[in-house]
Amino acid sequence: MKKLMIALALMLFVTSTAQAHSPLCDCFDNGDDTITCEGGFSDGSSANGVKIHVLDAAGKALLEGKMNEDSEFTFNKPAVDYTVVFDAGEGHSVEVNGKDIVE
Amino acid sequence: MSDSTLLVALAGQPNCGKSTVFNMLTGARQHVANYPGVTVEKKTGSFTHNGAKVSLVDLPGTYSLTSYSLEERVARDFLLEKHPGLVINVVDASNLKRNLYLTLQLLEMEVPLLLNLNMMDVAERREQVIDIDALSRVLGVTVVPTVGKKSSGREGLYAGVLEAISRNKNESTQYRVMYGELEPYIEKTAERLAELPRFEPAYPLRWLAIKLLENDERALKILSNHIGAKAEEFLSWVDEQREQFTQSKNLTVDRHIAFSRHRAANEISRKAVAQPAERRKSLSDQADTYVCNRVTGPVILIAILLLLYQVSIVWGGELAAWVWPVWGGLEDFVAANLPAEGFWQDPLLRSLGLWVAKSLTAILNYLPIFFLLFALIAILEDSGYMPRMAFILDRMFRRFGLHGQSTLPLILGGVYVGGCAIPGVMATKAIPDERARLATILTVPLMNCLAKVPLYLILISAYFSEQAGLAMFFIATVTLFMALPIAKLLSLTVLRGYESAPFIMEMPPYHLPTLGGVLRRAIERISLFVRKIVTVVAAVAVIIFVLIQFPVVSGERLAYYDKQEQTAVSKFMKAVDKTSLAGQLTESDVMGLINFQSDLKQAKRGVKDKAKAAAINAQFEQANPMYWSIVKRKGKNGKALNKALKKVSKTRKKLRRQARTERFESSFLGKLGHAIEPVTQYAGFTWRINIALLSAFAAKENAAATIGSIYGIEDGKTVQDSMKEGESGFTPLHALALMLFMALYPPCIPTTIMVRMQSGSTKWMLFGVIYPILLGLGVATLVYSGGSALGLNGFEVMWVFYGLCVIATLIMGAIPDKALSHSQPKPQPKTQPVNNAG
Repeated sequence: MKKLMIALALMLFVTSTAQAHSPLCDCFDNGDDTITCEGGFSDGSSANGVKIHVLDAAGKALLEGKMNEDSEFTFNKPAVDYTVVFDAGEGHSVEVNGKDIVE
Repeated sequence: MSDSTLLVALAGQPNCGKSTVFNMLTGARQHVANYPGVTVEKKTGSFTHNGAKVSLVDLPGTYSLTSYSLEERVARDFLLEKHPGLVINVVDASNLKRNLYLTLQLLEMEVPLLLNLNMMDVAERREQVIDIDALSRVLGVTVVPTVGKKSSGREGLYAGVLEAISRNKNESTQYRVMYGELEPYIEKTAERLAELPRFEPAYPLRWLAIKLLENDERALKILSNHIGAKAEEFLSWVDEQREQFTQSKNLTVDRHIAFSRHRAANEISRKAVAQPAERRKSLSDQADTYVCNRVTGPVILIAILLLLYQVSIVWGGELAAWVWPVWGGLEDFVAANLPAEGFWQDPLLRSLGLWVAKSLTAILNYLPIFFLLFALIAILEDSGYMPRMAFILDRMFRRFGLHGQSTLPLILGGVYVGGCAIPGVMATKAIPDERARLATILTVPLMNCLAKVPLYLILISAYFSEQAGLAMFFIATVTLFMALPIAKLLSLTVLRGYESAPFIMEMPPYHLPTLGGVLRRAIERISLFVRKIVTVVAAVAVIIFVLIQFPVVSGERLAYYDKQEQTAVSKFMKAVDKTSLAGQLTESDVMGLINFQSDLKQAKRGVKDKAKAAAINAQFEQANPMYWSIVKRKGKNGKALNKALKKVSKTRKKLRRQARTERFESSFLGKLGHAIEPVTQYAGFTWRINIALLSAFAAKENAAATIGSIYGIEDGKTVQDSMKEGESGFTPLHALALMLFMALYPPCIPTTIMVRMQSGSTKWMLFGVIYPILLGLGVATLVYSGGSALGLNGFEVMWVFYGLCVIATLIMGAIPDKALSHSQPKPQPKTQPVNNAG
């Protein structure tokens, strides 16, 4: 029994944490050269404070920020191709391709 | 039931295809209820053949007919009390020897019997040749072969039923097991029983004698009910007989009986079945030398558990995110069909409708995870690994008052991280040991269900961010070290009086699961889960809604919010007056604009195609050109008013947030949170945390959401940051106490209702709610107050506590348990039923 316990503990240690609620992120083109992304979680949790990265094609950060108290993040539309990353921690991130954000 | 209707019972071991035979005989005419007073399902149906009307009752599938499990008792009592005119004993023809074990006991009860050799196709595939005539001659009963799956052999079975009814009027031809050296004892006992007044209902005396010698609880009860005080003398005489036999044979009576039955079953099957060269079995045997091995067994087991976790929780989580738009769409659909939003507060009907929808989708979101989990478990079951897994863990679980078959419920509940107590509690149905079953029901909610995880994540990233991995490991594994000693403690105390049963589980040969079989089972389980949960969750959501919405905000505050609304709207109107739209837009258009904007957003959610977006835009433009110009900043007016609209929107959102928090804090639940602060302060919980925990009782994920809504008020800060500031002096020690309380926290309401259903008792349901509260509060107080007194920080206390839990587990595991010692599983030849009691 002890052996089992020790083995159990060791092997579980190497695994990552679980998804608990699904992260959600939708972005909208406001038509004034700004983009607004709305975040949240499937269980209704607020996305307030969740980190947002806007990356260029090479994966370099164009800008960074956090979701506001309304779970929104608005930024100026980059001139280059970009990707928005809603980063709520390991296993809890959503990527939105800038090309998919249409007016 | 009219007099001309014949009562026929269908008996058989699990996995013999009994329900397919039932369906084949009755077609769609069936009715499902529970046996009186217990949670065992009772299926009845009827059919007419050649003018004979037959009412068919499906008995629970059992390996044996002892007093050990509820199913066995239900089946046996039915046979004893209802005196069916015929019992159709369905057996798996490909596993005749094992199935005969039950047949022999049925014959011993002297019920008129028809043997139905089902699954003949499987027997043929395994190249077994069964001599049906020989079998019929030896057993003295009608034998009918069928393939229930293909409905083949139905006519033969109908005819056999009619034949058996006439034939069995002369019961003396039926086979009877001879018990060798026990026979004189049986005869003596039966003779003494015959001297007693007549039994009502008439029990077969030989059967009763055997059962008394076996020390079968129900038989003892039958006797004491019958002769009252005189039973004591009789029973002590039986005890003497039993003792005498045990002394002379050096073997207990029940073991001797079990051996005799196995021997008889073996002999009969040898006479009737010609076996092929047994290559398949030897392969299974070879595999079992590793799978059930003391060293490699646990390693394989853990590897399989990890795979289960990876596929269902990690990949299932990704799948859930992918499926989410379906549930999101459901929410939107509900939202679209409810009265429109107000400025700072919504119509009650809308709030209620959305709340219920949200509560449902929060659980439905887990469906992909459970579908994968159920499918994987079906694979484990169909491949034959599940019983072996239970067998390996039985050794360990027994020490804690649990059972090998507690494995599945605990996995479903979330042994590591990620599960749900609801299907976990539902799965306890299969545990034959009543005491272990209750212990499992009461400890499954202590596992880490998916919904507890968000709170863990918030607290860990706020207070243990530097040791996040270790902290997650702590909370993921400490729960098992808390649950095991608790299970033992419960079974030594409150559950002491309950019956315990040995580990009886079939060890079938391994075989490859079929896709169809696995899918069917997964779909069956998931639909059962959905049907049970949807109504429960919806009902519970309504109750919680009342508790967090009422009493409504008072008159003075109402006026405050209305005034704020008025100010914001007037500001917008001032902006309107400066444009050429003055006079065309009125105050009521503010809400119109806001709704127009959100409808547009809603319509475009997830749209990635430019043409599609343009079509939606055109549609909205046509619907209301003026709103369109403002929302999309068209023209001079549009640009100016868009800015004003943004402002009024922002104010509105802020007001709504404020109002929500205020409403929550002044609600019944909020007041309760304040009221219990004097007690919870020792665990480090303020009234805000109390509120979050109270609302988590509705559904666990509420804790994170509620903490989010209470703390997520200040600008641009994470919930974690706000929490750090909002609760001055909130330290890692507080966080640890909170995490442990959450781990032990009482089951959410849907689980609580499932506990009520599975335990069949309101008392246990209440106990299942109250003990974790007290325990959780105790542990949190110990951690917080103890840690503070010793001057340790949260991380130190974490590992001190972990050590305490491991020590408690080792100590509790070492405490001998008298009631359990007799039922330690006895090793049996592999691929034989681990069927150690008769």
